[in-house]
Amino acid sequence: MVKIEHLSKKYNDNIVLDDIHLEIKKGDVVGIIGPSGTGKSTLLRCVNHLEIPESGVIHMDGKTVDITRKRGRELRYLQQHTGMVFQRFYLFEKKTALENVMEGLIVVKKMSKEEAKKTAMQELDKVGMSSWANHYPKHLSGGQQQRVALARAIAMKPDLLLLDEPTSALDPELVGEVLDVIRKVAEEGYTMLLVSHEMNFVRHVANRVIFLDKGRIVEDGTPKEVFERPKNERTREFFRKMYMMNQPEYII
Amino acid sequence: MGKLFDLKLVFTSIPELLEKLPITLELAGLAMVLGLLLGLLMAIIKIKKIKGLTQIINFIISAIRGTPVIVQLYIAFFGIPMFFKYLNQRFGTNLAVADIPGFVYAVVALGLNQSAFCAEIIRSALQAVNEGQIEAAQALGMTYLQTLRRIILPQAFEVALPTLGNSLISIIKSTSLAFTCAVVELTAQGRIIAGRSYRYFELYISLAIIYWVITIIIEQAIKFIEKKIRIPDQVALLPAANSRSVEEEHG
Ligand SMILES: Nc1ncnc2c1ncn2[C@@H]1O[C@H](COP(=O)(O)OP(=O)(O)OP(=O)(O)O)[C@@H](O)[C@H]1O
Ligand SMILES: [Mg+2]
Repeated sequence: MVKIEHLSKKYNDNIVLDDIHLEIKKGDVVGIIGPSGTGKSTLLRCVNHLEIPESGVIHMDGKTVDITRKRGRELRYLQQHTGMVFQRFYLFEKKTALENVMEGLIVVKKMSKEEAKKTAMQELDKVGMSSWANHYPKHLSGGQQQRVALARAIAMKPDLLLLDEPTSALDPELVGEVLDVIRKVAEEGYTMLLVSHEMNFVRHVANRVIFLDKGRIVEDGTPKEVFERPKNERTREFFRKMYMMNQPEYII
Repeated sequence: MGKLFDLKLVFTSIPELLEKLPITLELAGLAMVLGLLLGLLMAIIKIKKIKGLTQIINFIISAIRGTPVIVQLYIAFFGIPMFFKYLNQRFGTNLAVADIPGFVYAVVALGLNQSAFCAEIIRSALQAVNEGQIEAAQALGMTYLQTLRRIILPQAFEVALPTLGNSLISIIKSTSLAFTCAVVELTAQGRIIAGRSYRYFELYISLAIIYWVITIIIEQAIKFIEKKIRIPDQVALLPAANSRSVEEEHG
């Protein structure tokens, strides 16, 4: 179980996260939705300590991590036990797909090279990229890069996987292959925080949905509750706009 | 009167000059290594904006860039012994200043000079590595030093290589000033030989040829390394793996 408490973050006077409390059960897939600029990315980045908030603690595995600190053993623990998938993939450019997945295994998990290679190949296979193991990121399409990035993250067996709009930098025809892999990962029982604008996907893959507005959680429930009976006026308005845009939908 | 220009001598004196080539290469090599290490350190301090240190480093870089190498060599040659004498007086130690060969002064001076230029080259190369990859490494749980060594430096190296190559070439040429520290390297050897026959012009031509050839070799070596570390334009697919992949599911 992961518990986030009193998470607040502001940029100058702009309050981006306002005293967030969030308890995530093991195996939960939590979809985070909300208007642009409400702090969804900031939330994930604070949890992974890529951003330092003004206040906040994370309880994880019996450990209490003060994420307002700059560095320390607990913070390293937090980063080692959470994984991040970025909107723009951020694969290591000078490394092949295989080396990208092996990197954390060797450097952080201290695996031997052979062991890391074996594990990395399995993970690449899982995301359907084993034939591209020797390819460099610049040789791969966006969808393929994102699948490798997913393999890189899950190879570390994170207790919490953070995904920040993993498909929104992709051409529409590449979105499906990445969503398929994410669904597969979710089915394996990984605990995930998933920020996405793919409403249909969130609805089907998540077992809990959170609506974030102006740095606060204004809706929190099962997908059915949030999508079909939103309590908050802001949420209803958001959905109206979303449906009006009439995007091509992901079909399960 | 002999010949006005003795072409043969230009070539026959080359072997004797080359006896001192190792000194020149060692000087340049050690100064370059020192320059790279100090330069990297200064670059990281500047990037991390470490308070106090950044200002000191800016000051040092400005001073080094703003003065001629030959003056820096003289300052090292006279200044380092004075510094040691001061230490001896102050702390009653007995550091043997006279035992330090001029070679060391020259390496220190040239290395410091080099570091000021390397610092800027390295800083801009480090900053050329996109922030996202650094965050990705951090998200895996890697420390800054691990990220630096395994992710940032290999990429920055490729960016900086051509400029660092030029820097190496310029330091090779600067070693010809090491006579100021009583080091007999290529150029000093040339003067000694020329002093015997008063054939200065011929000897300087020989020297020019040697330096030029060294430069050409370095340029070619840099090109070779650049090619070697570049990501290949294309690579072949591996034979399809054992299990069913997402790709196939999509048809
Ligand atoms: N480094 C920064 N400096 C100043 N303001 C920032 C910085 N990063 C983010 N912000 C601000 O924080 C707010 C929240 O940003 P965030 O990226 O978390 O939003 P988001 O919910 O992920 O939006 P989107 O759906 O567009 O990705 C925005 O108003 C943004 O302008
Ligand atoms: Mg965002």
